[in-house]
Amino acid sequence: MRPLEFGRLAWRAIRSHRLRSALTTLGIVIGIAAVIAFVTLGASLQAGLVGDISPDDQRNLYGWAADPDTEGGPLAGAQPVFSQDDLDAVSERDGVDAAYGYMPISTQALVYEGELSPQSDGLVAAGPPYIRPDTLEEGRQFEMGEREAVINPAVAGQFEENVSVGDELTIALQGGQQTTVTVVGITDTSEGLSPFEGFEPSPRVYVPTDPYYTEEVESATAGLGGENASENGSSAGGGTGVGEDALFLAIVVQAESADDADVDRARESALGYLESDDSDASELLGDELAVTMQTSTELLQQLQDVLDLLQSFIVGIAAISLVVGSIGIANIMLVSVTERTREIGIMKAVGAQNRDVLGLFLTEAVVLGVIGAILGTALGLLVGYAGTWYIDIPLVYPYGYVALAIAVGVLVGVLSGLYPAWRAARTDPIDALRYE
Amino acid sequence: MATGTAVSLQNVRKTYQLGEPVHALDGVTLEIPRGTYTAIMGPSGSGKSTLMNLVGCLDTPTDGTVVVGGEDVTTLDDRERTTLRGTTVGFVFQTFNLMPRLSALENVALPQLFQGVGRSTRRDRARELLERVGLGDRTDHMPNELSGGQRQRVALARALVNDPTIVLADEPSGNLDTDTEADVLDLFDEFYDAGTTMLVVTHERHVAERAERIVHLLDGRIERVEELDDAGRDSDVAQGQRDGVDGTGAASGADR
Repeated sequence: MRPLEFGRLAWRAIRSHRLRSALTTLGIVIGIAAVIAFVTLGASLQAGLVGDISPDDQRNLYGWAADPDTEGGPLAGAQPVFSQDDLDAVSERDGVDAAYGYMPISTQALVYEGELSPQSDGLVAAGPPYIRPDTLEEGRQFEMGEREAVINPAVAGQFEENVSVGDELTIALQGGQQTTVTVVGITDTSEGLSPFEGFEPSPRVYVPTDPYYTEEVESATAGLGGENASENGSSAGGGTGVGEDALFLAIVVQAESADDADVDRARESALGYLESDDSDASELLGDELAVTMQTSTELLQQLQDVLDLLQSFIVGIAAISLVVGSIGIANIMLVSVTERTREIGIMKAVGAQNRDVLGLFLTEAVVLGVIGAILGTALGLLVGYAGTWYIDIPLVYPYGYVALAIAVGVLVGVLSGLYPAWRAARTDPIDALRYE
Repeated sequence: MATGTAVSLQNVRKTYQLGEPVHALDGVTLEIPRGTYTAIMGPSGSGKSTLMNLVGCLDTPTDGTVVVGGEDVTTLDDRERTTLRGTTVGFVFQTFNLMPRLSALENVALPQLFQGVGRSTRRDRARELLERVGLGDRTDHMPNELSGGQRQRVALARALVNDPTIVLADEPSGNLDTDTEADVLDLFDEFYDAGTTMLVVTHERHVAERAERIVHLLDGRIERVEELDDAGRDSDVAQGQRDGVDGTGAASGADR
């Protein structure tokens, strides 16, 4: 007997119990849909994140000082410990191409052509290499020591009139001071340029640490002891005097190339200095803090690990739903075999072999499983699509998982149908024909 | 018309172990030549069903040999017996036993499905048989859309679809009213006349009298074999050629 004939007869049997078949497959539908939906979301999220690492970024090492036990992503629990002297010393080290500080600066608003746009934290102070050439849509990097800024498209489009290269922008800082910058470049994306900023799009203005950050520290310390000073004080312990200088929350070290060996050399070199007694940072690190220094890829990997863990967890729960679903199929198949004992007897009387009967019931279970898998996949993709649309990330179809889902449907059908089908196959035709 | 032996039972015993041994058949020797029409009668528990199951290759004897269509059933394994059953035996049951979800045509075609016959060939053959039993216009009806008589005709068509060596009918008119019964039995006669070997189990005398001989079973043994002449059979079908039947393969009670 041919597979197609099995399929035809199985489909007939399934269709004759529409409601029952639909309810039976529901467990599989829900299980597969859950897996597919979460895998789609996970894959899309991953693509959204990993897609943001440009090859030029691969040679950058992002470092910050925090309690080694602190959990979380980049800058979690970071304390400002890096002085300008440290940065200068690190950039002179072997294998290091450049090193600069990173410091987010709190702001109140951005003003352009008299138009004011409230902005609480959109100012990032860093070194010129932070604006990688491949991220510039137009213009150039800012220069250290100049009152220049690079803005992202979100800032450029924020005002009635688009801000363009050469325009002046006034920034109202947290402390109330105002400072004016000349826009020298516009980036091609409103997403963060490094893991420090996060990846969600938001308006950002990039400025050189000198003069913007150093000035702010000076004014803050000159004022009422300012927030930075008190922050420093808490972490500095006995390190008096260091608070006078601008301390950076984070350090970006640029290796000579994106080569793994070069990156590792730069990392060792920079860490070696920062942890040695020669550095200002070592004084502030004390016993509680340690410097973490990682590439974007490594940092994302942590996020990825968390994401993967979460995904395995959810897929695990969905797998349980699949197990429950297959028990449902097995149960209904057993009922079906009992119900159709007489039919089995008839088929055997007219020449059906045991394997024909086995194949028939197994096909029925597999068809149920596959229908469940197909419907579940469709539903899952729909939910995944809605999810990615809702949180606004690019949709990535996990094609591998779609194939896997169908395979799981077949497997579930076979596993749950095997015992009922075997029972059907070994039914004694004499008893079956007498069965009422 | 085919000649030779369709079914041969030699000293057949069937014993069931139900606490104590029950001899359903206790030494039965019976020969059914091809092209003959035999009826088996007997009260409940006389071994009719067991005999049917053995001839229908659904069961194997505890002792003795059963030869169906030239094959010794006792030497076959389950799979070979199933194949033999599918190709040489056609069943007609009291309760029709049609597949409820298959149309008349599909029911008739079912046995060929298990023999690996192609779909279009199957359907052509099934249609031809349905026309022969007078249901050419009911091919796509489901069993529950057919009357009892029509269902039994479908069952008869199904029994004949593989050109069986023998058609086994177990109380074929037990669920039919008198008129329909006559129609169906007339159809049996028709196929018998065309050369089909018939074995009918019944407890009704007027059904058994359609056959050319009646085997009476009692307590698992053949009590007597009644040969009917043309006059004994109903007068509706003229019997010309009944050669090779009398005497030669006559059943006899063993153990006597």
